[in-house]
Amino acid sequence: MRRALRAAAPWLVAAAALVALALVLRGYHADIYRKMLVTATLALSFNYLFGVAKQLAFSHVSFFGLGAYGVTILGVMQHWPMAPAILATLVVAVVLSLAVAIPTTRLEGFYLGLATFAVAQLFTIALRQGGDFTGGPDGLHGYAAPTLFGIELSGRRYTIVIIAVLIATFAVLRNLELSYFGRACRAVGDNSRAAAAMGIDVARTRILVFVVTSTLAAVAGMVYAFLDNYVNPNVFDFDLMFLIFFMTIVGGSGRQSGVLLGVVVLTLLSESLSEVVGSHSVLIYGVIVVIAILFWPSGLIGLVDVVRARLGWGARAP
Amino acid sequence: MRDFCELIVSVGEGGGIYALAALAYLLVLRPTGIVNFAIGELATLGAFVGVAALAWAKLPYMVGLPLVVFTVGLISLLTERLTVHRLIARNAPVLSPVLVLLAMLTIYRQAGASIFGTANLFSPPPFGFSRIAIGPFAGASQSFLIIAVTAVVFAAAWLFFERTIWGKAFEAIAIDRFAAALMGINLSVAIMLSFAAGGAVAGLAGLLQSPLTSASYLMGFPIAIKGFTALMIGGVGRVEGALVGALLLSLTEKLVLRYAPIPASYALAVPFLLLILFLILKPRGLLAAGEVRE
Repeated sequence: MRRALRAAAPWLVAAAALVALALVLRGYHADIYRKMLVTATLALSFNYLFGVAKQLAFSHVSFFGLGAYGVTILGVMQHWPMAPAILATLVVAVVLSLAVAIPTTRLEGFYLGLATFAVAQLFTIALRQGGDFTGGPDGLHGYAAPTLFGIELSGRRYTIVIIAVLIATFAVLRNLELSYFGRACRAVGDNSRAAAAMGIDVARTRILVFVVTSTLAAVAGMVYAFLDNYVNPNVFDFDLMFLIFFMTIVGGSGRQSGVLLGVVVLTLLSESLSEVVGSHSVLIYGVIVVIAILFWPSGLIGLVDVVRARLGWGARAP
Repeated sequence: MRDFCELIVSVGEGGGIYALAALAYLLVLRPTGIVNFAIGELATLGAFVGVAALAWAKLPYMVGLPLVVFTVGLISLLTERLTVHRLIARNAPVLSPVLVLLAMLTIYRQAGASIFGTANLFSPPPFGFSRIAIGPFAGASQSFLIIAVTAVVFAAAWLFFERTIWGKAFEAIAIDRFAAALMGINLSVAIMLSFAAGGAVAGLAGLLQSPLTSASYLMGFPIAIKGFTALMIGGVGRVEGALVGALLLSLTEKLVLRYAPIPASYALAVPFLLLILFLILKPRGLLAAGEVRE
């Protein structure tokens, strides 16, 4: 009992801190906060796919969009109850990510990037041509907040849901990373030939990690659907992909603490920058990413490690 | 018959732009193994410099065109020196240069949008809006200009790679860079020049495209994706591959738009479907790389 409590303690502290912030923040700041939490959820799974398994998959935002559209179409437009709508969307996400992963994950490096990029473009074309089903180029908007088990989830109550999904995603990926499968992913990502020589089934590992992380992206997408009660093809296009990609690299790809740091820093930066320089903030983003790749290959979290080592706090090896 | 001949001209026009973009990728990809994702944005910069030189400064085309080629080539060269070169020198992971170029794509696009705005800019065609007919082949003068320039560029590229010692040196780097370095080829200079050449060709593609669609900060995206699709269809091994792939892609697009019973908006999906199919089924493209000859 005591051990279980000790293991749960950091999680409870993190959850309490996140909820406390949700209670303190109001209005515009609360909106930014909620959006940041959803972005962090998406970036965490992207980091696992790109940073740990080293798969440059631009289709990640498409699965995010699939989750958002799936739960909106089934749960709102078709008036299904929320629980089966969520389940059905999950099944669709698993099946479609398998369909994408089986042929494309044989490709390496930027060839995988290009194939998944083409998949992502086909997805947005399909959304725009979906007629009444997807709402076409305007998307779907103005629908009501969801009710789960008779409780209407809106406002702060919905923020709690967002926090729960973020922590769950973090926990799933953390456990995955510490498992045999997680080590296999890292080995395949670092050197697939050496991994194969160790007896790891490279093809299966690559497909599995793609499916698991894409499904987690779909879960984040479901949360996004009721953030502003608004889904639109433009949201799930390349800009969002670049954003989480930049956050992962600047924060420190391959480490969960790194990507969370990247999400927080870049969100705060873009908020403060857009007040000063307006639309040029994206330009500054680009410059920061170039600097990060050139001078801090292990990201901001690597700088944190250096500072901790200087102060003698015993930096953890990455 | 006349319909068919006009189709041929429009295939040549579209294919010419795709072929130049594909060549721009190829010039960087062969010696370095790096896909320069920013090719489309470099084309946009070419179109913007063209607008500044031709429409604003009213320079003659014979001055404007070399100016565009030089400026964009220089931008690409500086990009290589400041970013990619440092990563290669440091032995960074293979994907790092690709990622840094992805970030450069954003910088080019936003810098272009900051300087030239987000509206569509008129780019004057050098021969006006006249139509030309050569035998049964009729089309806009710009279409014939694109076809002619593409033919000249590809002839020059082919001659360079097949007939000059410098071209052979580039080919040697593509086959085995360490052996090439041992033979006394300066890798650093060769990679720098390949980026400059790739940028120059991309800028040329943007300049030629801009009178057809007007110059805008978003024009690079279709050029980038279609150029790469063309390269994947034709194969990354040889210069001819880029040209063959581009013409096939352009032909498929035009045939689908004209004859397939689907709405035009679905035709947007054609290059993406072709890209996926070729990546998965025929990753070496239609024309395989020339074998190492004895």
